[in-house]
Amino acid sequence: MTAMQARGFFDGTIVTIELTLISIALGLIFGMLLALARISKNKVVRGITWTYVWIFRGTPLMLQLIIVYFAIPLMANSITGSYINVSMFGAAVIGLTLNTAAYLAEIFRAGILSIDKGQMEAAKALGMTYKQAMLKIIIPQTYRRVIPPFANEFIMILKDTSLVIVIGLAELTRVSKQFAASGEWKFYFVAGAIYLFLTTISTFVFDKMEKHAARYE
Amino acid sequence: MSMIKTENIHKYFGENHVLNGIDLEIFPGEVMCVVGPSGSGKSTLLRCLNHLERITSGKIFIDGVLVDHRENDKDVLKSDPKKVAEMCAELGMVFQRFNLFPHKTALENVMIGPMTVKKVGKADAQKKAMELLEKVGIAEKANEYPSRLSGGQQQRVAIARALAMEPKIMLFDEPTSALDPELVGEVLEVMKQLAHAGMTMMVVTHEMGFAREVGTRLIFMDEGKIVEQGTPREVFENPQNDRTKDFFRSIL
Repeated sequence: MTAMQARGFFDGTIVTIELTLISIALGLIFGMLLALARISKNKVVRGITWTYVWIFRGTPLMLQLIIVYFAIPLMANSITGSYINVSMFGAAVIGLTLNTAAYLAEIFRAGILSIDKGQMEAAKALGMTYKQAMLKIIIPQTYRRVIPPFANEFIMILKDTSLVIVIGLAELTRVSKQFAASGEWKFYFVAGAIYLFLTTISTFVFDKMEKHAARYE
Repeated sequence: MSMIKTENIHKYFGENHVLNGIDLEIFPGEVMCVVGPSGSGKSTLLRCLNHLERITSGKIFIDGVLVDHRENDKDVLKSDPKKVAEMCAELGMVFQRFNLFPHKTALENVMIGPMTVKKVGKADAQKKAMELLEKVGIAEKANEYPSRLSGGQQQRVAIARALAMEPKIMLFDEPTSALDPELVGEVLEVMKQLAHAGMTMMVVTHEMGFAREVGTRLIFMDEGKIVEQGTPREVFENPQNDRTKDFFRSIL
């Protein structure tokens, strides 16, 4: 491998990591809001979030990425007559975030619903508002239960960043494909090894987090 | 003036008429024990007082102030959630299944109410919490998580947690029913201390010994109604109602 190729792999790996971390971080916030909306008393709010989750879990991520990057600018153009510019990286983050938020919402919702009703009652009996009870009592207790499915989703997104190849962003998979174009098949395995390394580290970190979250049991 | 007063409270769970016209007044310093067969509405009554269940119709006054007024499951009195939360904090609640916060230590369980709701500083909250844990005789377990405590210890922490909010009245919902028999005594002892210190209490219980010894008034409920009431001595020794007689005969 030449220095130029090593450099290419390094940059591609960084893009993959950035995409994963940014999308998961944004998806985490958005997914939590969706989860709270899904258990809201308001029927309309519940309906909207149900529809959101239904659409984003029911269609392929690759198609969602294509729509964000190619279709939406065209749509905007035909409606408003002006162009909007979305960078490849920006489109990739938006697509991945919207998708992972739908999955995370379901994970968080299940986590919240798994907490004994007596916890909310005890918090209310102390005079806490719904918001205080959620933030201080209910959500912190979901961590341990939510970490394993969250870890799963994290690793899924880490691997699914390879799908952004369809919009042309130079992440790890695309870099390996470019280098392998001249017949050097080994580069695909280099990419595979890097993915495996990243997923292994992630698994290790989440295992530690799960143990820490279970300390009070 | 009464601390809690209810007027014609009704509660339905679907078709089930759980509370059927409850009129009740509790005065400062009273220890009111509520007894009756299971399904008679005792716990529901307690839970309605601090909004854990919403009444179907009727009125609830606390300290003479109307805090809840509903007809046909609709609010007649519009109250904002903040006021309701404040009001709930005036009524301390102890649950049958303790409901301690498992992710907090015993000490933190007692601190979190004042810190979150009353915005008390950490140092003050901690000092107060330690005093309360000492009062319920469990200071040496302050830094343990609830999962490491016995049922009796957990319930004593739960009592301290409720007391930390400096409630005007303490509601106990069958506080010893989930305990192993040998742990019941330590919890009743703490409750007895509280009663002697002048705390106003409403206790749903099956502990007739406690009711007789500590209670200042006994209420017997059946099928959602208050069937009989009086001093524990009167009701135990000379029950007037046939259902009360049957109940005492069946448990003694």
